[in-house]
Amino acid sequence: MKALLDPGELAKALVHSRPEEVRKEQRLNVRYHIEHPAIIDRPRKFLSVFATILRHVPSYGLALEHYVRCQAKCGRCSVECMIYQATNDPKDVPCYRSSMLLDIYKRYFTMGGRFWGSVTGRGDLTDEKLQEMAQSVWNCTACRKCLLECPSGIDHGLLTHLARYILSEMDIAPRALVVSTREQLEGKTGNTSAFPWPAIKDGLEFLEEEMEEEKGVKMHFPLDVEGADYVFFPAVSDFMMEAETLMGNAAVFAATGDSWTIGTKCHDGINYGLFYSDRIWDRVVSKVDAETRRLKGKVILIGECGHASRSAKVGIPMFCGGKAALPVVNCMEYAYDAWKAGKLKLIRGAIKERVTYHDPCNIARTKWIIEQPRELLRYICEDFVEMTPNREENICCGGGGGTVSIDEVRPYRTGPAGKAKAEQIRATGAKYCVGPCANCKKQLKELVEDQEVDCEIVGLHDLLYNAIDYSELERKQGVEPRQTEGNTDCVTTSTEAASS
Amino acid sequence: MNETVESMLEFARGPLFRFTFALMVLGLARLVLLTVYGVVRTYILAGDKRLFWPVIRQRTLWTLFPFSRLHRTRASYSILSFAFHVGLIIVPIFLFAHVHLWQRGIGISWPALPPLAADVLTILTIFAALALFSLRAASSLSRTLSRAQDYAWPLLLILVFVSGFLASHPPWCPVDYRVMLLVHILSAELIFVLMPFSKIAHCVLIPFSQLVSDLGWHFPATAGKDVCRALGKESTPV
Repeated sequence: MKALLDPGELAKALVHSRPEEVRKEQRLNVRYHIEHPAIIDRPRKFLSVFATILRHVPSYGLALEHYVRCQAKCGRCSVECMIYQATNDPKDVPCYRSSMLLDIYKRYFTMGGRFWGSVTGRGDLTDEKLQEMAQSVWNCTACRKCLLECPSGIDHGLLTHLARYILSEMDIAPRALVVSTREQLEGKTGNTSAFPWPAIKDGLEFLEEEMEEEKGVKMHFPLDVEGADYVFFPAVSDFMMEAETLMGNAAVFAATGDSWTIGTKCHDGINYGLFYSDRIWDRVVSKVDAETRRLKGKVILIGECGHASRSAKVGIPMFCGGKAALPVVNCMEYAYDAWKAGKLKLIRGAIKERVTYHDPCNIARTKWIIEQPRELLRYICEDFVEMTPNREENICCGGGGGTVSIDEVRPYRTGPAGKAKAEQIRATGAKYCVGPCANCKKQLKELVEDQEVDCEIVGLHDLLYNAIDYSELERKQGVEPRQTEGNTDCVTTSTEAASS
Repeated sequence: MNETVESMLEFARGPLFRFTFALMVLGLARLVLLTVYGVVRTYILAGDKRLFWPVIRQRTLWTLFPFSRLHRTRASYSILSFAFHVGLIIVPIFLFAHVHLWQRGIGISWPALPPLAADVLTILTIFAALALFSLRAASSLSRTLSRAQDYAWPLLLILVFVSGFLASHPPWCPVDYRVMLLVHILSAELIFVLMPFSKIAHCVLIPFSQLVSDLGWHFPATAGKDVCRALGKESTPV
């Protein structure tokens, strides 16, 4: 089978931006920057952390034990892995990567492995094996598509997640993620992008004026409103870089009339813990939960972001109260339910150009949010086309698993990781590709640029903003009705305005 | 010579069969019980006890009855693998000679396959096993992934099916059919012994795979804090 990338393209994508002396000093030949990794006695440290995690998290032990017993090593997962399809390197096959961890588990944490290992002296963990793992687990975008084809039912994404967790406890984790999380949890700004709150507040006031100017009605971003039904946590990048999406969120709430608010103490739904550390995952969702309770909110509403949605949907009940936990809703679910209930009026066929939809892995793989955005898009778009494959079998954007935030691996993301997606988008001939996820959006924008695909990446709410029927709001606010026909040019105009 | 073979056959069919079969049943039962225990323990300790049952159910059915997915990816490999598994399950259980043995041994019987169907299925299984072995050996990707047992299992299964086929068709058997029968029984008993300790344990564990994979993400509510405390990192900055 021919690889999607030719050797020349592949060599460019696998280039190291880290100076060689740093790689030598850190004894890690990985492509992402690291702060201060453990250097001495790493195999022993790895095993010690691994043992600690197994002692306190029985679900990992259950999965590892099961996978060790029935791993078939058939390589069927290779047909679903876009990375392997692009590189044709057997080391990029999901079950090869999983074996790195499973072999260690078998050697050191099963009776048979300990016995045979001590008798034969084979299979010992070495620093070289750890170095290979440290690169391999960040080559994977954790899209979990391989789970669909594995006849043994092995969740390779779970094993990648665990390997990253163990390595991160030895301070082997991408600096970009660690630094962002530090700012979010311990920094002055409290968000991963280090946007100062006054700047965010100014931006929101500007967007309110912008929306009034564009749509002729007043729409607000309510801040710190106690008792609001919905407390909103978008990916913080939406505040500065995806203004159109944010305006869409405000417009939907203005149209439905439901109460919502953005907290001033915590306003960032991003959770890199999902990508590299369970204890960070816990801390971030606990912060989100605390902010919602401070504001006496009833529902945690997550913006257009796949990993933020999944980390809250799974993490809030898991770490913050089980059955008593606050409900978590994604803003697309909210908009869909409001539309179905007749609270949100949309203009049929408001968007004239061809539109396609990219399923973010974190919300589609488990079939959580698949049809809701599609129904909305079929209604508001005259020419909606699907990518193939789609829904739970979608192809990852190439920036999943936190890799999108690691700028130094952009050639890799838009090369081997994103090539299949680029071709998928190109094949639709769409003018707009809806990528309702902050991470997917950033990656897809870079991808269409690097792979020269003529398509604009937008959020679902960017389109909803231009497809809402504002006549009811106009009547309520007593303003002169404006023409309500759809006009997708607004998508471009407003985004440009916000970013300027 | 004949007497030696007869006495070995008697031993292989009698005490050795009972021992190895019991070992297999107990070994596989142990694995199932350990898995069920692990599932229940993980579920009880999980901070969130909601499971995605519709997805777990659907994907488990896909794994067990993959009819709708066979043609989609690597069709030839998938169909071969499916045919191989069908033969592995049907022939040993429904072969007339095997049913007859059970009836004689414990007085229980069930409908048997017609001889022609059994022969066809046996040949199909042998062919599929050979093809799967060749595909594994020929592909550089598969060779990178494969362990010794991944090559050994198809060969062992071919041995048991070929010897069984020849033993049941004495005119085609190159040696005394009783010798072939002995090879057949001993190789089957080797399989019984190895099953619980090798990847073939998947025959009883696969129905749990999707549940286990979903439960893998269900951590205890205090998992993060406990790990942090155990690693002595409570006051360490992020």
